[in-house]
Amino acid sequence: MSGLRIEVKALRKAFRQTVSGSEVLAIDRLDFVIEPGEIAAVVGTTGCGKSTLFDVMIGLDAPTDGQLLIGGSEPYADFDGFRGKIATVFQQDRLLPWRSALDNVCLPLELAGVPEAAQRRRAAEWLERLGLAKFMQAYPHELSGGMRQRVAIARAFVLQPAILLADESFGHLDEVTAAELRDTFVALARECGSTAVLITHQLEEAISVGDRVLVFAKPASVLADIRVSDWPRAGHAELRAAIQSTLQGNCLDPRLEPASVLASAFAPGGALHAGA
Amino acid sequence: MLPDSAGAGNGVQRGRRFPREAIVSLLVLAALWELASRNAAIIGIPPIALPGFARIAQSLAGLTVIDVAVTVARVVGALVLSFLLAVACAVAMYRSVAVERYGYPLVRLLMAVPVISWILFAVLWFRQVEFRIGFVLVAVCGPLFLVDMLASMKGVSKELRDMMRSFRPTAAQFFGKLMLPAILPSVLTSWKINLSLAIRVVTIAELVGAVTGIGHQLSVAQELFSVADVFAWTLILVAVLFLLEAVLNRIEAHVLRWRP
Ligand SMILES: Nc1ncnc2c1ncn2[C@@H]1O[C@H](COP(=O)(O)OP(=O)(O)O)[C@@H](O)[C@H]1O
Ligand SMILES: [Mg+2]
Repeated sequence: MSGLRIEVKALRKAFRQTVSGSEVLAIDRLDFVIEPGEIAAVVGTTGCGKSTLFDVMIGLDAPTDGQLLIGGSEPYADFDGFRGKIATVFQQDRLLPWRSALDNVCLPLELAGVPEAAQRRRAAEWLERLGLAKFMQAYPHELSGGMRQRVAIARAFVLQPAILLADESFGHLDEVTAAELRDTFVALARECGSTAVLITHQLEEAISVGDRVLVFAKPASVLADIRVSDWPRAGHAELRAAIQSTLQGNCLDPRLEPASVLASAFAPGGALHAGA
Repeated sequence: MLPDSAGAGNGVQRGRRFPREAIVSLLVLAALWELASRNAAIIGIPPIALPGFARIAQSLAGLTVIDVAVTVARVVGALVLSFLLAVACAVAMYRSVAVERYGYPLVRLLMAVPVISWILFAVLWFRQVEFRIGFVLVAVCGPLFLVDMLASMKGVSKELRDMMRSFRPTAAQFFGKLMLPAILPSVLTSWKINLSLAIRVVTIAELVGAVTGIGHQLSVAQELFSVADVFAWTLILVAVLFLLEAVLNRIEAHVLRWRP
């Protein structure tokens, strides 16, 4: 299934705290568009509302104000309309402990009403692609953390969803495993043509993965919307530093201004562009 | 610990060993009983109060299998019915806060009623014997099943529920593929608790309100002043309980084999 467009218009989300009754603003005012097939990374400090946005995108939670449209409809209001279209990789693997790896990957297909023989064949194919051919019958507790997250990735991709979402899915793994899984995720997402949103608090990850990097203020609003292709490899260290200072100051670092000297220097045709 | 014997080495029996100490304790107890029985006159107890094993064996031989079957059928039938009712109520309460807020206090009320009151109500209200017994057992076991089940449904993690919901399951899929498997361990524990409770309750209910079953036979034995018969029926009850528990343990080992 090819990707769908994600449109976020003046999105606001507030929570009322259970005990004090006071309001916490998790998403202030979000506006952005992610084009079909694009892979976007969202970075922001802890507690800036990334997971809240994730829940609204999945349709588990309703916006307080504004709109979030995927392919023109709202995931919360049109909940069942998104059956088979959205898949997620969560922070933890969230596998069902009583199901084998294979049966875990079958789950989304069962829920989508795919015939049983096709379920098993497709699930087995995806587990093989993720290097788990020998572990199809293993229960989650018999697998390492990295392997479990691979199963979770297979479970997301088996649907060939239009929208793929990942919320800090690799952050708890060691760096080598995390990088490997992240690259696998991105390669597979490109192959599927899905629109993918990767939420992370790691700048390296955001820059190396995304076509776009959305830098969030706290509470969530877009501080910077960076097209990574505008920044050739040589400029990545600079880009990283600029994003970091943006996050620290909670306001846009001048180096990221579209009109900044540095940005234009790195831009195609600029003095510092890789091809120059 | 002894290694698994060859025939039993299929994982189910893992960690089981020959219950030597238990058998020794039981034999010692039996020997003391027999000794006391033979010397009843010396101790100053009427011999009829402490029948020897020869006399008890005689009673056992005279027991009617149909009464055992009737009691077991009542227990199993009532437990299945209680369980199904509890599943329906627990699902309704889980899905609707209003149903829970109105229903739960009533369930707590049912749980506070003493067993003997249920039995007397049953005898006063209903003429039909099976209905009386079934009513008592369901009134006692149903609420217990329900309360346990609702608590463990609420204990299913939000992480797993969100994961499941992200795939847009129907209500039946949500319960069938997530909630019920997730609460299965505690459901099995509930079954064990309710089983031993039901066996004890059914005998009292039969004693008061029935003309068949082990409980009724116990009241007959009491009218005949036959301690040997009471002893024999009690042995059977204990054996039945252990047997049904063993069946539940086998089921548990099979359905929870995924557990580390
Ligand atoms: N269910 C909730 N009820 C109340 N406050 C919440 C809830 N979920 C999140 N929040 C608040 O919203 C803010 C953003 O949280 P979150 O989206 O989890 O941040 P992030 O994922 O970026 O670390 C936090 O201040 C958090 O306390
Ligand atoms: Mg988060």
